[in-house]
Amino acid sequence: MAEIVMECKNLWKTYGKIIAVKDVSFQIREGEIKLVFGPSGSGKSTFLRCLAMLTIPDKGDVYLRDQCLTKPSVDLNKARAKIGFVFQHIWLFRHLTALGNVELSLRRVLKMPKDEAREKAMEALRLVKMEDWAKHYPAQMSGGQQQRVGIARALARNPNIILLDEPTSALDPELTGEVIDTLRDLARMGTTMLIVSHEMPFAREVADEMIFYDEGAIVETGPPELFFTNPESERAKKFMARLIKKTKRE
Amino acid sequence: MDLVQQLLYMLQGISTTLLISIFSFLLGLTIGLPLAFIRTYERGFAVFVDAFEKVFRGIPELVLMLLFYRGVGLFLAFPFGDAFFTATFVLGLRSAANQSQIFKGAIRGVGEEQMVAARSLGLSRLQSILRVMIPQVFIFSTPGLGSEYALLVKDSSYAFVIGVPVIMEQADRIRKATYDPVIPYIVAAILYILLTFPLATWLDTWGSRKKKQLGL
Ligand SMILES: Nc1ncnc2c1ncn2[C@@H]1O[C@H](COP(=O)(O)OP(=O)(O)O)[C@@H](O)[C@H]1O
Ligand SMILES: [Mg+2]
Repeated sequence: MAEIVMECKNLWKTYGKIIAVKDVSFQIREGEIKLVFGPSGSGKSTFLRCLAMLTIPDKGDVYLRDQCLTKPSVDLNKARAKIGFVFQHIWLFRHLTALGNVELSLRRVLKMPKDEAREKAMEALRLVKMEDWAKHYPAQMSGGQQQRVGIARALARNPNIILLDEPTSALDPELTGEVIDTLRDLARMGTTMLIVSHEMPFAREVADEMIFYDEGAIVETGPPELFFTNPESERAKKFMARLIKKTKRE
Repeated sequence: MDLVQQLLYMLQGISTTLLISIFSFLLGLTIGLPLAFIRTYERGFAVFVDAFEKVFRGIPELVLMLLFYRGVGLFLAFPFGDAFFTATFVLGLRSAANQSQIFKGAIRGVGEEQMVAARSLGLSRLQSILRVMIPQVFIFSTPGLGSEYALLVKDSSYAFVIGVPVIMEQADRIRKATYDPVIPYIVAAILYILLTFPLATWLDTWGSRKKKQLGL
């Protein structure tokens, strides 16, 4: 079996009375694509942020390959450089062009020389089919184009894994397709990805495993087929039924 | 006092006013910008930053100037014995308190999300501030910075109480020499408008255009 890329053990994160991550253990191997879904407010974003150590968990351990990120002595900046993160609301740097957005970490984190960084950034933009937009600012692009640049920004450093938090849910429905196409390309290239998404046809097509997340915990995991035919838990059953109905309506 | 001499007086007034305004603006920027970030990201220092702002925004600059010049100057021969230095220093600190407020608002306007996105790439906090926050914070701050500069030009006129040859002081000297109680002050008024208005307006326009272009 392929090597474990990212893992967490008994992870907890609470906000006052709200338990966003409740004793969650999880692992993902090289080349795997896992898809997290579940009701809004259940803690999916918090879970992803904890894995990237953008939010520091209260308890539990996160591992990136062999390195334990929850040990106080780790250099979190170095660790985050090896994790790509794509945000629901994209959050491109608005004062930088598409190229500037993708280049930034190559220049300032990996300390690549200018020419090399530019070449690498252009390569990433080509991958998401945004190379013609390299000199444009985010405000000049559509939401779908912005998110593709967001994906290029996350993958330019060749991270070990990319975490994507609802990459299409803030976009107009007619713009989700282009982003999904990009994700499909990444999947074909064997990129290790943990994706929060409710794009069910896409999930069925690319996910090795689906994870139903509710009330801060992983309720059920399994191959997509399980969820589309006969999920075990009542909660997953109900949620899937609602999702499928909604997808049909669209 | 002939006309040429009056003209030379006013030229000196203009250059002194500009020097005090520019230096105190830069002093305010050098202190105010870091203060705003410290206030935002290091909650522990909030009390000190707030106290600094309260003191320098609360006490009239006239009082501050006399206090530093006479009071502190009595014990410290230099630098506070020097009127130009004292005026620049006092206005600079007051401007730091104002600019800290301006930048704090701008940091909030740029949004925590930009910081999170920067950190997600592996940039350190300082790198994120320098590369991602500050360029946007400046664009957000342009109207405030324009008004702050105009305020400094105007308030530098207070330096006349400690004898700094700002436009106000020079106008007063000309009045005394020529016994003309009106014209020198009218000239001073016009000069103050000319020194503040164009730059503040230009900054404002540039900022609005940039904001629109970048969707800030
Ligand atoms: N920074 C925060 N401060 C306080 N509460 C938060 C914070 N982030 C998330 N929460 C709360 O934690 C819960 C889970 O949020 P989130 O992880 O965003 O869920 P999801 O992504 O599944 O919609 C929500 O109730 C939310 O209000
Ligand atoms: Mg979320």
